[in-house]
Amino acid sequence: MSTLFNAISASASALDVQRARMEVAVSNLANAESTRGPDGQPYRRREVVLESAPVNGADRTFNVQPDGVRVAGVLEDQSPFRRRYEPSHPDADADGFVAMPNVDVPEEMVDMLGAARAYQANLTAIGLIRDTIQKALDLGK
Amino acid sequence: MADPFSDAAITAALGRQMTRAVQRQAVAASNLANLDTPGYRTKEVTFAAALEDELGANGIVTTDARHIGAGQASDPSTFGESRDLATRRDGNNVQLDRELLGLTRASGDFSAAQTVLAAKFRLVRYAINEGR
Repeated sequence: MSTLFNAISASASALDVQRARMEVAVSNLANAESTRGPDGQPYRRREVVLESAPVNGADRTFNVQPDGVRVAGVLEDQSPFRRRYEPSHPDADADGFVAMPNVDVPEEMVDMLGAARAYQANLTAIGLIRDTIQKALDLGK
Repeated sequence: MADPFSDAAITAALGRQMTRAVQRQAVAASNLANLDTPGYRTKEVTFAAALEDELGANGIVTTDARHIGAGQASDPSTFGESRDLATRRDGNNVQLDRELLGLTRASGDFSAAQTVLAAKFRLVRYAINEGR
């Protein structure tokens, strides 16, 4: 039984991670035009780095140890800023170019779709495992 | 095994089927959780490993020196990495549909075994209650 609960923990950790991915993508989208951050620089695109991690307190009943997932870190994308010609902008340089955040809107949308799909898949997994647990409990009736 | 159709034998077999279904579900859930983890390789309960597990730690029993034994298992775990799956550019080869299918299939397997086991228990209870 505890293998099933560990499997649910693994799926739940994935829900957590996908939500984090969604939050970061939304923050990137929201700041796609922010030319001034706290450090005076344009906003830098952030990216979630995932790593696989054994589920907390997992035992080895039935010899299977489900792997969960966790956020290893949220890193800033170091690719160069986009440059847009907009001489009237207060942050424009001498040549009239403004450094815009290195956020690519379609890329963020695709990332969000991926996160939503993965979230859905893990939710389905939790539902199926819950059904199995319920079935096992029904044996006692 | 004296009688392959005894209550105990059938119950034990159904129990094994349910255990296997649970293992497959756990592995599929673990694969799904790592759908986007770079470098993660799909895991699965392999048949050879599962068979080895069923045969116990001793492996296949040989009664003659010329018989071929099972050999020593190199890894005691009953799951390995699946091969022949397309790997994405980040080194991950988890396929969403394949894992969901595996999960659903394992769920059905478990359901089937559970239904039969419940029927078996009902019969036993019927006998205990003297047919009432």
